[in-house]
Formats: sequence, structure tokens, C-alpha cells
Amino acid sequence: MKRKLDLPLTITLSVLALFVFIPLLSAFEFSIRTPIKGGYGWDHYLWAIREDEFFYYIIRSIWLAAITVLITLIVLVPTMTWLQLSKSTIRPFIDGLSLLPLVIPVVAFAVGAQISFPEFVKDTVLELPFLYFVLALPYAYRTLDIGLNSIPLKTLTEAARSAGANWWRTIITVIIPVIKTAVVGTVAITFALSIGEYTLTVLLHWDTFPTWITFVADESILGAVALSMMSLVIPFLVLTVLTLVAPERSTQGRK
Amino acid sequence: MSSKSLTLNNISKRFGNVTALDNFNLEVGVGELVALLGPSGCGKTTALRVVAGLEHQDNGTVLVAEKNISDVPAHKRNMGMVFQAYSLFPNLTVEENVAFGLQMRKVNKSVRLKKAHQLLDLVGLDSQSKRFTHQLSGGQQQRVALARALAFEPEILLLDEPLSALDAQVRVNLREEIRRLQLSLGTTTLFVTHDQEEAMAISDRVGVMNQGVLEQIDTPDVLYNKPTSSFVAGFVGIMNRIPAQISDGIVEIFGSKVIALKRGNESGQVVALIRPESISVVANSSQPNAKVLTRSFMGASSNIICQTGDGTIVQSLMTSASTGDLHPGSSVQLHVLSSEVLVANV
Repeated sequence: MKRKLDLPLTITLSVLALFVFIPLLSAFEFSIRTPIKGGYGWDHYLWAIREDEFFYYIIRSIWLAAITVLITLIVLVPTMTWLQLSKSTIRPFIDGLSLLPLVIPVVAFAVGAQISFPEFVKDTVLELPFLYFVLALPYAYRTLDIGLNSIPLKTLTEAARSAGANWWRTIITVIIPVIKTAVVGTVAITFALSIGEYTLTVLLHWDTFPTWITFVADESILGAVALSMMSLVIPFLVLTVLTLVAPERSTQGRK
Repeated sequence: MSSKSLTLNNISKRFGNVTALDNFNLEVGVGELVALLGPSGCGKTTALRVVAGLEHQDNGTVLVAEKNISDVPAHKRNMGMVFQAYSLFPNLTVEENVAFGLQMRKVNKSVRLKKAHQLLDLVGLDSQSKRFTHQLSGGQQQRVALARALAFEPEILLLDEPLSALDAQVRVNLREEIRRLQLSLGTTTLFVTHDQEEAMAISDRVGVMNQGVLEQIDTPDVLYNKPTSSFVAGFVGIMNRIPAQISDGIVEIFGSKVIALKRGNESGQVVALIRPESISVVANSSQPNAKVLTRSFMGASSNIICQTGDGTIVQSLMTSASTGDLHPGSSVQLHVLSSEVLVANV
């Protein structure tokens, strides 16, 4: 049966698509311009890749983002599982707390980190993942929350425990695979946010891929835009790889 | 055989102001199936969860084969559990679900899959082993859950209303299957249900709970025929509550004199507790004492509901062949068939 076209929905989605894609396409079009030769080409992409720092910063950003993702999963999945199961009265407080990174200025985080982090953390770039984790918290928290709410968490954890799984094995072998979609979403959001984070990184005087792009911009604005386009592609690639690598197990039609 | 005995000693558990278990005591012998039966909120599920280690008691001890396991965490208790809600892991296939407990015990993969197939064969689902759980019906899911709970040879099997979400016919089939498996494997089993028919049908003994205490625990036969309290009498099976006069341990009901089994007041007004099958309804009597309200045909037997002159509703269960003359509105005479009745104070 032919489905009837939902006109208001189509118009809304079309406007939204234009809003998202026109700036992206414009930036892409700009990045492949070759003003000297005229016309279009991949010159700026090739130039950027040949820069010595390119792989250094991109790899650094990727592993910082990967550590952030690990911290997020290790801290949030058990904590939120406990919150869901305990029906704790502090739940609304934690919900509110998770939103604070949206309203606290990044500069306050930077100052706070400088004051409160121990020297051995401040001395290494590893201070960044802890702060990226906080910045990604409002989004990661809600994504996982939706996932955990959509499953019979209490029954599944009790079934796993009574079958002999301790808490960690319950989380790793049951909860995470069952809420795989929410976990992949959390990984994607946290990864994308970490790999693109600029303000906090600059305030703490560290260099990552986004801060390097601004250095490049001084030399070649077209090269910087080309790098920005590449930085957009990385999280997309990571998400694609994750979706392909994570075993596709049907969890549809749960009763 | 890995099955062991289970003892609960003076278990108390409170949730805020609510007392779920109040000095609760229970003993389940090796290989025995004991059902805990009672109304909602009577504490039966809490008792089961305390045994499983999913709740921790405020006081008292849980012993398995005389060994105190009160402080052993749930995952180390070696107890198989089947839940009321469907509890299979949706990310695993049927065979992986059944093998889960063995996987947690680090059993070699080929051994655990072999065991899983044995158990699936026992519950008649070996052909479904590669399917995902959402592809199974509710009854099949509970069968798989039963296989999963038995696969690691638990010391105690705990069944938390495993049949309550199923259709009537599936319930009857599955309860028989549970009993068959339990007997063949000899697994000590604690079965919680609010369905008395279910409890009576498959249990060695049934414990009736009320407000956190065990009112009576006995074989289904004793529980039904010789309830020791008014609550048990009223909860197990259908019980008529008929106002009557007692004098020197003799109760007069519908003109007949019967012996009071458990005395309430020594004389005066009491309530006689009589099963429907212990009351006969006679049509065309010269001394009618009631009127038929309804007659429900149920195959071999029929259920007759009558009202006496003082307004008491009385239910009788008779063979259908003897109820042909009983029509709604007809005047009848009620008789008590048993020579002894349980009485309670008004």
C-alpha cells in the first residue's frame, strides 16, 4: 500500500536538512577550491595531510577521545544501573547535576581543574579526558538513561546474578550488550564532542587536532577548512566502524 | 545429586513501615517441592528473594544443607531462579541463555553447549536452540528460563510465579512439566504462587502465608481437608461461611448436628466453615430451607448457589447428574454431608 506523503513532516525535515547541509556543502566547496590554478582539486587536503603535525595531532585527539569514551562508560554505566535499580531518592539530584556542564562556563571548568587536579594529572595531557567526560556528561547521561529505561533492567540483572554473574560480569555480559544502541550512541556523542573540543583545550594550554587547525588557519585558511572537513569525517567513520564491529544481535520485539 | 535441604530460621524483613516477613520459619527437605501460597503482599516473594540473596533479611538465617549462607552474595549461592517476568537475555540465543550460568562458572564452551542442549531437550525446545528469545512464545520463554535455571545443577530451584503471565492451557502444561523435571532431577524447589490450584497440583507441601507469617504448611490434602485456621480455610479452596449455633462442641447446621473440629466459642453463635462438596441440595423437599439462585454446569460437576432464609449465600458442588431438578428460584433443602466441621468465632 502506498504511504500517503506527510506534507508538514516533509517540509520540516527538508528545511532541517537544508539548515544542516548547506553550511557543510559550502565549507566543502570552499575547501576544494584551487584559487591559483582555478577550478577545484584536493590540493589543500593533500597539503594538510603532508604536514608533519597532521598525524601527530589527529592520533593524539583520537586517543584522548577514546580515553574519554572509556571513562564515560566505566563511570556512567555502573552508576546509572545502580541509580535505576536502587530507585534512590537522590536520583532527581543526580539528573540535575548531570545538566550542570551545560550552564557552567568552560572557563570555570578550566580554572577549577587548575585549582583542584593534582599535579601529576595537570602535568599530562590526560587531564583533558576527565574534563571532556564532564562536558559530554549531559548528552551521555541521557542517551544511556533512555537505553536503561527501555529494558527490564531489574529482572535481567537479577536473572544474571542468580545464574552466577557478579556485578561486573552482569554489566559487561548482559547490560551493555542489551543496551547496545544506547551505548553506541553514547560512544559516538562522547567521541565527537571530545575530538572537536577546542575552548577548554586552549584554556589549559594543550594542543590537539582542533587547536592545530587554528594554527594552520594563520597559514592557509583553505587548508584549515579542509582539516575541519576531515575532523567531521572522523567521528562518522568511528560510528560506522562501531556499528559494523559490534555484533548485530536482534533485540527487537522484547516482551 | 547436588540438591540440598533449605532452612529459614526466624527471618524478619521490613520495607519502611511494612513488615514483609515476621519471624518466618521454613524447612524444605532434599528433593522436596514446597509451594508458598498467599495473597498479594503476604511476604511469599520476599521469602524467596531472601533465599536467592536478592534481598537481605533484617534478622534470621538461611541455611542450605545446614550451612549458613545468610551473607553469601546472590551470584555465589548456586540457586537457579525462574522469574515471573520474562527474564531471558535478548542479546543471546536460546542455547546461549541456557549455557549462561555455566559460562559464568567458566565451564568449557563445548561442555556447556552440550549441557544446554540436554536441558533444552528435556523441556522440548532443542530445535529452537539457535533462535533469539523474542522469536519464542511466552510458554517457550519460560521453558528456556527453566532450562537456564537447571543447567548449572543448582542446589535449590526457586520459582517466582513463573506461570502467572501465561495462558490458562499453557500454565497447566508447564506446571506439569516443572513437576516432571523436578522429580526426575530431584531438585529441592521452592515455588511461590498466588494460584492455589497450581500450588496444590504440583507440590509435596504447601505453605500458606499471611502477613509475613506461615499460617500452615502441610500436604495439599491436609491443607484442604484439615485447615488449622480460619484464614487457611478461607484461602485454600472455596469455603462456605454459615452462621450456626454451637453447644458443647456440637454445631447445628440446617437441622443436622455435627462435631466442631476447632472450637471457637463453647456455646452461642459461631461460623461453620464448610466446603461446597460437603453440602448437598435436595429438590422437592417437604421442608425447604433455601432457594436456588444459580446453577453453573461445569461438565461432570455443577456449581449450585443458594440463599437461605436468613440471607446466607451457600455454594454446593454436586455431580451434574444429580442436579437436573435444581433450577433458579426453586425451593430446596440443604444438607451437611460431613460429620465434622471447622468453626470460627463470629
